[in-house]
Amino acid sequence: MNWLIFFLVVLKASLFSIGGFGPLPSLHADFIAHGWAVEKQFTESLAVGQVTPGPNGLWVVSICYLVAGLPGAILACVALMLPPLLVLVLQLCYARIANRPTTQGLLDGVVLVIVSFSVIVLGQLFYSTGLDVGMVIIAVLSAILAIKRVVATNVILLLAAIIGLIW
Amino acid sequence: MPTISNVTDDPSSNNSSIKVISPSPFSIRLLFFIWLRIGFTSFGGGAVTQYLIQENFIHKHKWITAEEYSRLLAMSQITPGIGIIACAMLVGKKLGGWVGLGISVLGLVVPSAAITIAITAIYFNISHFPRVQASLRAVFAAIFGISLATNWRNVRPILISNRQRGPLALVVAFGIMIGCAIMHLLFHPPIIVLYLLGGLCGAFSYWLFDKKSRRANR
Repeated sequence: MNWLIFFLVVLKASLFSIGGFGPLPSLHADFIAHGWAVEKQFTESLAVGQVTPGPNGLWVVSICYLVAGLPGAILACVALMLPPLLVLVLQLCYARIANRPTTQGLLDGVVLVIVSFSVIVLGQLFYSTGLDVGMVIIAVLSAILAIKRVVATNVILLLAAIIGLIW
Repeated sequence: MPTISNVTDDPSSNNSSIKVISPSPFSIRLLFFIWLRIGFTSFGGGAVTQYLIQENFIHKHKWITAEEYSRLLAMSQITPGIGIIACAMLVGKKLGGWVGLGISVLGLVVPSAAITIAITAIYFNISHFPRVQASLRAVFAAIFGISLATNWRNVRPILISNRQRGPLALVVAFGIMIGCAIMHLLFHPPIIVLYLLGGLCGAFSYWLFDKKSRRANR
């Protein structure tokens, strides 16, 4: 494997994407074309990315570990950390235009889209795992516990894991 | 700019042990350990990570206000790549300069990535057991619930400030959310197009409401 090409492929996928699942189409096309990965590895690493700590986008580290071992995973980490640095450029401009209502409106509009979009995407994923009464109850209870901030989220996730295990 | 009410200030929730009234004293060391803990414990992906960031920086240590955070978040989300990493950079830089930025990103990414690699290795050895599948399914249901709470926290300050702008502004806010949902479900446009449309709608409407309120004040 040519590490430079591997790194640039991952960097390209990350640079031209927004959000955790954003790099998927680009990575999928390139990894399959280079013969580095098969379809099944994508669905599995996406699933692993859901349950591991940290940003969802770290599923990229999971697939890079699968296809290129530890060096691949480390290169993936670096490739994922570089594009977000552009936020500092954005912030520079932002300071100049911060108090204009149009700037505020732009950002609020984007947040509204993010909220709407992420509820749909996660809802679809939730639906795809197979809906039943038990799962809906777990989801509703988790939402209530998280909004009321009664217990830490890790406790919620641990309880859900145990319930799923012994059900 | 109207300020929004902080959830933590609700007197009915004062009995919870994880809240303090005044901001905690800041140190780079503490900042690093907070990110490290978020990196190690934010099982459940971006929604949970975001929830923990809010929990630590807004509610527990009170180093950032909810409104500031939603602005940092918005900037992060329109930046290429993983939004949470950009968000960690902004939070770290705001609180501790360039050193703060560096340790925030390392604290968030290194433990998460290490655990991701470890779980990838473990998962493929046990994924064939039905019990493991059932457990993962229940965990995902909980992740979905938590993500609803996180999104509610992100959208709440915007809805509150729009209610103060007037009923029409509130309609625009809901319109952007519902319009985005319909467009995504019907046409599947690239998400960047939706960001652009939502942002432009917001910018145009805030500009319009601002002009109107200035004319009314004159």
